[in-house]
Amino acid sequence: MARYLVNRILQMLLLFVLFLTILFFLLNAQPGDISAQFIGNPDIPPEAKEILRRQLGLDQSLFVQYLFYIKNVFTGNLGVSFSQYPRSVADILLTALPRTIYLFLSATILAYVVGFQTGKLVAWKRGTATERVTMVGSIMLYTVFYPWFAILMLWYFGSQLGWFPLGKFLDPTKWFDAPYTANQVFNAMLLSIFLALVVVVAIFYFTGKIEEYRQRLIVRRVLLAVTAVVLIVYWMITPMSPFAVDIAYHTVLPVTTLTLVFYAGITLLTRSSMLETLREDYIFTARAKGVPEKIIRDRHAARNALLPVTTSFVLAIAFVIGGGIVTESIFSWPGLGLTLLGAVTVEDVPLAMGALVMIGVLALIAHLVADILYAFLDPRIRVQA
Amino acid sequence: MTEVRDRKPEGESATDADLSDIQVPDESLFKIRLKLLWRSFRRNWALFSRNRLGVLGVVIVLFFGFLAMLHPILMNTVWSEKHAIYDPVIGTDAVIIEKTVVEDVNDPLTQMSFTEAMIAGEFFPEEGMIIEVSIAPAPPNKDHYLGTDPFGRDILSQLMFGARAAFTLGVIAAVSAVVLATIVGSVAAFYGGWVDTWLMRQADLILLLPLLPLLIVIGSFWDIGLVQLGIMIGILSGLGGTAIILKSQALSVKVKPFNDAARVAGGSSRHIIVRHVIPNVLPLSFLYMMFEVTGAIFLEATLSFFGLLSIPMSWGIMINTAHTQGYTLFGLAAWWLLFPAGLAVTLFAAGFFLIGRAMDEVVNPRLRTR
Amino acid sequence: MTFEEQPTTEGQDMTGTPTALADPILEVDGLVMNYQVQDGMVSAVEDVSFTLNRGESLGLVGESGCGKTSVALSLIQLLPDNAVVKSGTIDLDGEKLLDLSEEEMRQRRWSDVSMVFQGAMNAWNPVYRVGDQIREAIDIHWDPRPSTAEAKARIAELFELVGINPDMVDRYPHEFSGGMKQRAVIAMALSCDPKIIIADEPTTALDVIVQEQVLNELRAVQENLGMSIIYISHDIAVIAEITNNIGVMYAGKLVEFGPTKEVFARPRHPYTWLILSSTPSVTGERRKLAPLEGEPPNLLDPPTGCRFHPRCPFATDQCKEEEPPMEYVDTVHRLACWNSDQVPVGLLEAAE
Repeated sequence: MARYLVNRILQMLLLFVLFLTILFFLLNAQPGDISAQFIGNPDIPPEAKEILRRQLGLDQSLFVQYLFYIKNVFTGNLGVSFSQYPRSVADILLTALPRTIYLFLSATILAYVVGFQTGKLVAWKRGTATERVTMVGSIMLYTVFYPWFAILMLWYFGSQLGWFPLGKFLDPTKWFDAPYTANQVFNAMLLSIFLALVVVVAIFYFTGKIEEYRQRLIVRRVLLAVTAVVLIVYWMITPMSPFAVDIAYHTVLPVTTLTLVFYAGITLLTRSSMLETLREDYIFTARAKGVPEKIIRDRHAARNALLPVTTSFVLAIAFVIGGGIVTESIFSWPGLGLTLLGAVTVEDVPLAMGALVMIGVLALIAHLVADILYAFLDPRIRVQA
Repeated sequence: MTEVRDRKPEGESATDADLSDIQVPDESLFKIRLKLLWRSFRRNWALFSRNRLGVLGVVIVLFFGFLAMLHPILMNTVWSEKHAIYDPVIGTDAVIIEKTVVEDVNDPLTQMSFTEAMIAGEFFPEEGMIIEVSIAPAPPNKDHYLGTDPFGRDILSQLMFGARAAFTLGVIAAVSAVVLATIVGSVAAFYGGWVDTWLMRQADLILLLPLLPLLIVIGSFWDIGLVQLGIMIGILSGLGGTAIILKSQALSVKVKPFNDAARVAGGSSRHIIVRHVIPNVLPLSFLYMMFEVTGAIFLEATLSFFGLLSIPMSWGIMINTAHTQGYTLFGLAAWWLLFPAGLAVTLFAAGFFLIGRAMDEVVNPRLRTR
Repeated sequence: MTFEEQPTTEGQDMTGTPTALADPILEVDGLVMNYQVQDGMVSAVEDVSFTLNRGESLGLVGESGCGKTSVALSLIQLLPDNAVVKSGTIDLDGEKLLDLSEEEMRQRRWSDVSMVFQGAMNAWNPVYRVGDQIREAIDIHWDPRPSTAEAKARIAELFELVGINPDMVDRYPHEFSGGMKQRAVIAMALSCDPKIIIADEPTTALDVIVQEQVLNELRAVQENLGMSIIYISHDIAVIAEITNNIGVMYAGKLVEFGPTKEVFARPRHPYTWLILSSTPSVTGERRKLAPLEGEPPNLLDPPTGCRFHPRCPFATDQCKEEEPPMEYVDTVHRLACWNSDQVPVGLLEAAE
C-alpha cells in the first residue's frame, strides 16, 4: 500500500513538471515577452523591473529561463503581480485559496454523498415511476448549460425571491469592527470541515470491524450524530460565530448551484454502475445464500458500484474546477477562479499564470486523493506494485 | 456446410488459379459493402429507436440543424434587403414602442420615469403620457419574433446563426478529438510496450489539465476563432481520457483471432490497425463523438460568456451580452435575452448527450433493459 | 474425461454398498415452468418429476437450454422475474417449497438447499475476504448465532475438509487459484449443513487435473457426510463418475431416468443413446464417434408430440402426433419413448 502511494506521488510530481513545462511554453509563446509587458507598465519602478529580469533570467537562454521557472515554482516564488503591484502573486493566491477550497470541498462532498445514495436507491427501483422522474430530472440538471443555470439560480433565489444575497462572500457592513479577518474565519471553517471528514472516515473504518449489520449501522449513525452535534455546538458558542454565519449564509447559493449539477452526474453514474454490478455472479451468490435484499443492495452491490464512481472523480475534477470558476464569476465569490478571470482581463500575466499553476496543483492533489481512496476501497489494487 | 473444393488436376501449377469453380458475386465489392453498411445501420437504428430519449435527442439535433441551414437561406432571400436589421452581428433595429410616463417605474420596459421622458424630448412630462421611444432590447414583436438584444440585433437571427456556429465547432472538435483518440488508442493497444506507456502517460496528463482555466488563459493571450478553438479542444480532449477508453476497446480487439489471421496472410501492421482494429473501435469512437460535442459546446459557450473568444456571434455571446449589459437580474422581465440562448445551448448539448447515451445501450449490450 | 463401464448391480451405489431403501429427501412432481418473453411463452420445464434419496446423488444432463438449470433454480426459487411456475410441487423433506412466501424461502436458502456454482471464480465478491463471505451465510442461518470464535473455527474446519490451508480464510478472492475458489465454494455450501446441495456445472471452468480434485471432494462430501447432491451438467462423463442416478433432459422434458450404471450400460432412449455414442471412452473399445445432428428446438413453439422427433433416427408418425408417456422398465429406470425397443444394445458407430 505504501509502495503504491509513493509510486503515485512520484508520478504526480512528474506530471506536475510536465504541466509546468506546458505552461512555460504558453508563457513564452504569447506575442511579446513578459518584459515588454511590464516595461510598458508605468506602475512598476525600473529597479523592480531589473530585479525581475534577473530573477526570471530574461537575459539568458530559453532553457535557463525554463530552469529558473521550475525552480521558482517549487520554491513558491510565483512572481509579482502587475495589476496589484507590489503584492506577490503567491500572497494574492493564498488569500483566495481557502475560499475556493471551501466551495470545491463542500460541493464535492455533498454531491458525492447525496448523489451516491440517490443513485443507489434509484437503481434498486428499476422500472418504477420514481426512477423515471429521477432520471429525467438528473439528465436535465446534468445537461443544462451551467453559466446559464447559475445566472438563473442567482436571479431566482437572490433577486426574485430574495432569500439569499446576490453574490460576494460576506456582508461588509457586518464586519466593520470584526476582530477577525475573513480568511481567519474561512480557515477555521475549513479546518473544522477537514477534522469532521477525518473523524467520519475514522468512524467508518473502526466500525467496519463490527460484524453484525444492524448493530454496525446503529453505532455508526450514533457516532455520526454525535460528531454533527459537537460540530454545531462548537460553532454556536465560538466568538467567531456571527461572522461564520454570515459567510455560511453567502455560501449557500453558490455551493448549492455547483452541487446540483455535479450531483446529477453522480446519480446517473451510480445508477449505471449499480446496474452493471447487479449483473455480477456474486450478487446471485448472495441471494442464494439467503442474504436479505437491503444488505445485498448496500453491502454487496453498492460497495462494488462505488469503485467506478470513485474513478470517475478523476475525470470530474476538471469539471468541478471549471464549474467552480464559473460559479465564482457569477456569484462574485473571490476565490482562485475569480482571481484568474480578473488577472486575464487586465493582462496581469504573472498572476494569471500563477493562478493556473495553483489550479493545476489543486487538480493534482484531488487526483491523488482519489487514487488513495480507490486503493483503500479495492483490495485488488493494494496487492499490486 | 461448405463443400471441399476438388484438388487441382495434375499438371497445373499452383499459381494458376482455376477460376471457373469459384462463384463470384455479380455486384462490385463497393456495392456489397454499401449494402452491408445500410443493413447494419437499419438494424442499429431499430435497436436505437427503442430508447425514446435517444430519438428525442435525434429530433433535437435535427431541429438545430434545420435552423442552421435555414439561416443563410433566410439571409439571402427574405432578409436580403434587410441585412441592416437582421444581420446577427451588425444589424440593428430601432424598435419603436410606446412607454407610459409614471412616477415610480415598476416595469422599465413599458414605463419610463419623468427624467427619461425629458431626455426623450418631452420637456413637460405628466403622469400617464405616452411617449414613443426606440428601445433596445425590445420584447418580441411582429418584426422580431424573439425580440432584440441590447444592441438592437434580432434575437432569432442570432439564435440561428448560433446554431451554425455550434455545429461548426461541434463537428470540428468532435471529429478531431475522436480521430486523434482512435489513432492514439489503437496504436497504443497494438504496439504495447513503451509506446503504450508513453502515450498513456500523456493521456493521464491531459486528463489532469483543467481545460477551462487553460483555455481562459490561452483565449486572453491570443485571438481565438471558432475553427481554432474547435481544433484545440479536439486535440486536447482527444489525447486525454477518450484515448484511454478507446485503447481498452482496441485491446479487446487486438487479441481476436482474425488479427492473427491477417498477420499470417501477410498484412502489415498498418494494414491490421486500419482494417481490423479501427473498424471495431469505431462504434465506440462514434459514441464518444457525441459526448465530445457536448463538451465542446459547453466550453465554447462558457468562454464566450466570459468574452474571451473572437467569434462574431454565438449563443454564449448572446448570454454574455445580456449579462454585461446588466439584464441578468431582470430575469423573466427580459426573458428573451437569456432564455432562448441558454435553452439553445442546453438543448443542443442535451440532444447529443441523449444520442450518446442511447448509443451506449446499442454499443454496450449489457445496459439494455430486458 | 473417462467413464468406466462396470457390470451393473441392482441396488448398489458406486462403491458397491447397498443403497438404503428409498428415503426421499426431495420429491419433484410434475413441475411445469414457462418464461414470459416478448414473443410469447417459452416452455422451459415440462412435467418433470424425480426423486432424490437421502445420501444419494442425482445427475441432470442435457444440452444447453434443455431446462436443467431452470429446474435447479426452481429448487432455490431464484428464478428470473419473468418465470412462471404453472403447476407441480417441490417437496423438500416434507416442506412444499412452492407454497412458501419469499421471506420463508429466503430463510431456507442455504440452510436447506445450497449451491456450488458454475464459474466459482465470480461467485466471490472481490472486495471482501473469503472467510467473511462464508461467515455471512453462517450469521444469517445458524440458530443461535455463533460467536466469532465459533464461526471462525467452523470455517477453518471446512477449509481443511476441502483441502485448503486454513490460513487462507482471511485472504481475498483474487489471492485464490481457480481450483481453490471452487473448493472454497464447496466449503461455503457446506457451512450451514444443508439438506441438499445443487452443484451446477461444478467443473466446467476448470482444467482436467483440478476437475479431478473437485469431483473427488464432492464425492467425499457425499459419502462421508451423507450429503444428498444434485449435479447439473452437460458433461456426461462427469455425471457418470459420481452420481447414483441420472436424469436425461431434452427440450424441457425428462426423457430418461435411472441408476447411472444401468443407463450407461444400456441407454434405452434414443437421445441418451445418441449422446453416449458421441462421447469417447478411454478404456472402452475404439470406435468412430457419431455426432448428434441438428439443434435443440425453439421452446417458444415446441415440436408436437415427442419433442425429440425431428432429430430422432427412430421417429415414426406416432412420435409426431402423440407424446410418449413415462414408462418404467425397472424399479427405478424409466423413460418416455414410443420406439425404445428399436434402440440397439451397443452404441452407434459412425457411418463411413
